[in-house]
Amino acid sequence: MGWAQVLTVDNVIRLLVGDLRRGEPGGLLLTLGMSVVGIIGGTVVGVVVGVMRASTSRWLLVPSFLYVQLLRNIPLLVVIFWLYFIPPHFGIETSKFFSVSMALIVFTGAYIAEIVRSGIRSVAPGTVEAAQSLGLKPLQVRLWIVLPQAFFAMIPALTGRYITTVKNTALAYLIGFSEVTEIGREINARLMTAPIEVYTTVLIMYFGVNRCLSALMRTLEDRDRFRRVFIRL
Amino acid sequence: MSYQYNWSILWSDVGLGLLRGTLVTLELVGWILTLALIIGVPVGVLRWVGGRILSPLCWAYVEFIRNTPALVQILFWYFSAAYILPRPVVLVLRDWNFEFAASVIALSLYHGAFIAEVVRAGLQAIPKGQYDAARSLGLRFRQMLRWVIFPQVFRITVPSLTNETVSVIKNTSLALAVGVTELTYQAKYIDAYYFRGVEALAAATAIYLVLCLAMAGVGALYSRSLSRHVKA
Repeated sequence: MGWAQVLTVDNVIRLLVGDLRRGEPGGLLLTLGMSVVGIIGGTVVGVVVGVMRASTSRWLLVPSFLYVQLLRNIPLLVVIFWLYFIPPHFGIETSKFFSVSMALIVFTGAYIAEIVRSGIRSVAPGTVEAAQSLGLKPLQVRLWIVLPQAFFAMIPALTGRYITTVKNTALAYLIGFSEVTEIGREINARLMTAPIEVYTTVLIMYFGVNRCLSALMRTLEDRDRFRRVFIRL
Repeated sequence: MSYQYNWSILWSDVGLGLLRGTLVTLELVGWILTLALIIGVPVGVLRWVGGRILSPLCWAYVEFIRNTPALVQILFWYFSAAYILPRPVVLVLRDWNFEFAASVIALSLYHGAFIAEVVRAGLQAIPKGQYDAARSLGLRFRQMLRWVIFPQVFRITVPSLTNETVSVIKNTSLALAVGVTELTYQAKYIDAYYFRGVEALAAATAIYLVLCLAMAGVGALYSRSLSRHVKA
């Protein structure tokens, strides 16, 4: 059967870490790396833009609104192409990792901005008034009073977005980046007889990563557990 | 080095290529949306009804699809469809347009899972009194769904279904991976063939923006008109 051909030691190692032995990380390792970059960068961008979206100043509101609307209404693939194929026209060298990471960050950031905005709106106005009457400045209120409370309301939506980000790293294969989908494609092209087995293996790898991710996020969701783990640090 | 813009190129063969790509994209959207609804609505209802065999199966389908990339699913179907589907079907699809068919199968199954979750959430959001009232009026299960539950579910799920449609429009760009000549493929082709990447990609971006925003706008208007008799 095809499984014996697909799940050889060599293939599994390549799927997991790529050509790490020759100094070229790839496979699932690279997928995870890109996911972490996309998730962390996207969250930072998303929090900044989301706070701008929730502000009352027109100078913050209009640019953040345009950014979110633009990025949420075009495919990620188009963003990747903008950042990978267009800069060379202007004489700027691009690297695959940089282009894909930037695309993932700006794309994910736009979605997380909307999550942050609705999270901020879900915080009871009384707590904001209480903080203001204690003499905190507006930015301090946002950062130290509103966002920590909004965080717990945002977790389910963030989990969904993070899972999508992990899934979106697969698009990097379209510009020839050797993450797990690309390695799967290479193995499939070499064997030619076992596409079901090859792609099922790749799908199961993504599935495993995403189930672990949602389990991790669920542990954060419980406020008491979150305090036990993080406040003690 | 500076780039020499030439926007007039969009009014030549290049523009025609983009237009053809847009039509293919819309064709994909039509097929995928129809099939995804046909798959998603029964799966959503089955998950909500619950059963010993079908409900866990539907759960497994939804969970697996939602946690794996659509792109890999397209590749899976493109390479494996010939092994999975019956031979006559494969021959028909091959003569028709195999890349297109594989993308439609993969993305319909993908978005079907998301629509199933939307439908299930909608069914759960209907107050329990509605079910009890329908049953006590003597309606059978199917009559209850048809005349009491679905009209309300439809009204509250229109915003989510609109989102899903926008997401279908965006995900059709993934069909480029197996060589469907949709909009993003055409933009990429123009970049490679005429070296006019900036103009082509800008036009493609604008077309996607118009399609998605128009869809979102229509959905919002429709949702509002459906809810106009309902007090919030």
